[in-house]
Amino acid sequence: MKGVSFDLAMSLMAGVFVSLIMLPMIALFSATSVGELVNQFRSTAVLSAVVISLETSLIVVLLALCLGIPVAYLLAMKEFRGKEILDTLVDLPVSMPPLVAGLALLILLGQNSIVGSTLSNYGISLIFSKKGIIIAQLFVSIPFLIKSTRVAFESINKNVTSASLTLGASKFYTFKNVLLPLAKNGICAGMVMTWARALGEFGATSMVAGCIPFRTETMTVAIYQDVMSGELTSSIAIALLLTVFSFTLLLTFKSRFKRQILL
Amino acid sequence: MGIVLKDILKSYNGRPVLKDLTLEVNTGEFHVLLGPSGSGKTTILSIIAGLVRQDKGDVLIGDRNVSGLPPEKRGIGFVFQDYALFPHLTVFDNMAYGLRVKKVEKNKISQRLGYYLGRVGIEREKDKFPHQLSGGQKQRVALIRALVTEPKVLLMDEPMSNLDALSKETIADELKSIQQETGMTTIYVTHNQDEAVLLGDRVSVLNHGAIEQIESPDELFYHPKTEFVARFVGAKNILKASVIEIKEHEAVVLVDHEGLNQPFKLQVKKYPIFEKGKGINLCIHPEKISLNRENEAGGNNVNRVMGKIIHKTNNGKAVKVTINTGGMELHAVIPKDIFDFEIHENVWVSFAADAPHPLCGKTCRAPYARRRCLNEMRNERL
Ligand SMILES: Nc1ncnc2c1ncn2[C@@H]1O[C@H](COP(=O)(O)OP(=O)(O)O)[C@@H](O)[C@H]1O
Ligand SMILES: [Mg+2]
Repeated sequence: MKGVSFDLAMSLMAGVFVSLIMLPMIALFSATSVGELVNQFRSTAVLSAVVISLETSLIVVLLALCLGIPVAYLLAMKEFRGKEILDTLVDLPVSMPPLVAGLALLILLGQNSIVGSTLSNYGISLIFSKKGIIIAQLFVSIPFLIKSTRVAFESINKNVTSASLTLGASKFYTFKNVLLPLAKNGICAGMVMTWARALGEFGATSMVAGCIPFRTETMTVAIYQDVMSGELTSSIAIALLLTVFSFTLLLTFKSRFKRQILL
Repeated sequence: MGIVLKDILKSYNGRPVLKDLTLEVNTGEFHVLLGPSGSGKTTILSIIAGLVRQDKGDVLIGDRNVSGLPPEKRGIGFVFQDYALFPHLTVFDNMAYGLRVKKVEKNKISQRLGYYLGRVGIEREKDKFPHQLSGGQKQRVALIRALVTEPKVLLMDEPMSNLDALSKETIADELKSIQQETGMTTIYVTHNQDEAVLLGDRVSVLNHGAIEQIESPDELFYHPKTEFVARFVGAKNILKASVIEIKEHEAVVLVDHEGLNQPFKLQVKKYPIFEKGKGINLCIHPEKISLNRENEAGGNNVNRVMGKIIHKTNNGKAVKVTINTGGMELHAVIPKDIFDFEIHENVWVSFAADAPHPLCGKTCRAPYARRRCLNEMRNERL
């Protein structure tokens, strides 16, 4: 009897959890009509936000690959002084509130800092621009790629790497022909998570890039702006689009994973 | 090309794993490195291959000091204990890996692989992935992958520890014949004494990062020179005794092993290290002991003690017996067809004068000590 009531209590809690996740989704999806949605996606403001978001977040994924894979490689394969520090730096953006990260970037890149003023002497302005968005998104999302890739590298049998070396392959050849192919799934997972995080980024982005419509207004920033100015329908449209994006990402990711287990 | 390890020192976290290890393997030799798990076998191979850097000492392959070279420049073949096949490549691509690294022409690659695939009988597997292979097949792929680049030196880390008895035998045959044809200098690591006997030209026994004895398999098994080697190769009977009389060819010793109710005398062959009054450890190989019924004579053997069978286990062809002889346990291995004793039965334990041999006592690690031990063994044979 006791066992049954325990399971019942657990199931009740699970029911609360399901409502917590499902009800807002249902509310969002039932707050608008198809006709209204179609209308919204014809508006240039909404379209521009979508384009800016996709453009910046995809560039962020590419940059994250270039910077993240080497960091993951070092963390997974090498012992060196300062490894702990590097490891902590990877965790930092995840634990830091994005607004704080945004503020820090704003101060660094603003006119009053050495970096900001030097850059502006060369005619480069990072804040209130797409480049600023990219930097902000990269800052908050790159840890996902690094962590996932690191785990993938770590789970490769060390002897397999050694085997490549003893067969005469250089480190680079081994990296390209053994480590990367074997870490492929982990890297893809990291890319998906990084992309999702970059798409959803709001706090740091709005700090660094502001919200200049048609220039630096990403989807999330547009949702916020539209709600604030009472244009609920357009923010709902963008929100729905974002939700569909993340669902699709989640599903492709899950199905990939299932196939992997079958193999 | 021979392999020389000179005074290799290696510690992990301040704990020494190899202690001034010196080892010389001759060109073309099949050398077996035998030792229990954790004795440092893998570490030795990794140091030779350059996968692990020694703290001190040198590695020479041929006449070349390779201590400073990375693994990819050392030109050795390595077969890993867990095979370490590339999981994302087919059998063919696994085996071709080393040749592709060397940018060998395509048709040359298939030609060379075709030969080996046929030779070890895995042609039909060539498009499979490693996870679709049996243990024995993986083992063959790992071996061929290392062989096709035709290294001068082949290192194998317990390559057969995960195989069943049947695959072991066939692979051992293939391995030995390939090694003999190619004349590759080979170091083969194992903790299994049967493999050592089967394959080794010489065997070195490793104990806690130091080599205790280097010898041909037969010498090692019937004449272990230290207690560790004796126990490790299954020569379990080690008797503490003292020399009480030395004659022209023989000596009389008094066994006063601890736990023994009453010391008894044995006639043994004379060894150069015997001195009157000196304490020694005598080793008797279990196969050299015979048993007789209480009421029978003890055969032709000069040495007889009465004992009681306290334990017996049957392992196929032979019976392993433990006999309590007045407080001391002796182990015997008796062919099954002549064994007809019951447990708790009283029996005569007998053995010839040349069955016991002394353990030198010293570990034979230092070159000088080894030579001394070898000389003693040689004198004994003359
Ligand atoms: N990377 C390592 N870090 C710390 N200790 C190690 C490492 N590799 C091996 N050891 C230790 O060194 C000793 C010898 O190991 P190994 O050479 O693998 O022995 P074997 O191959 O004979 O079983 C063991 O006690 C093991 O714990
Ligand atoms: Mg080992």
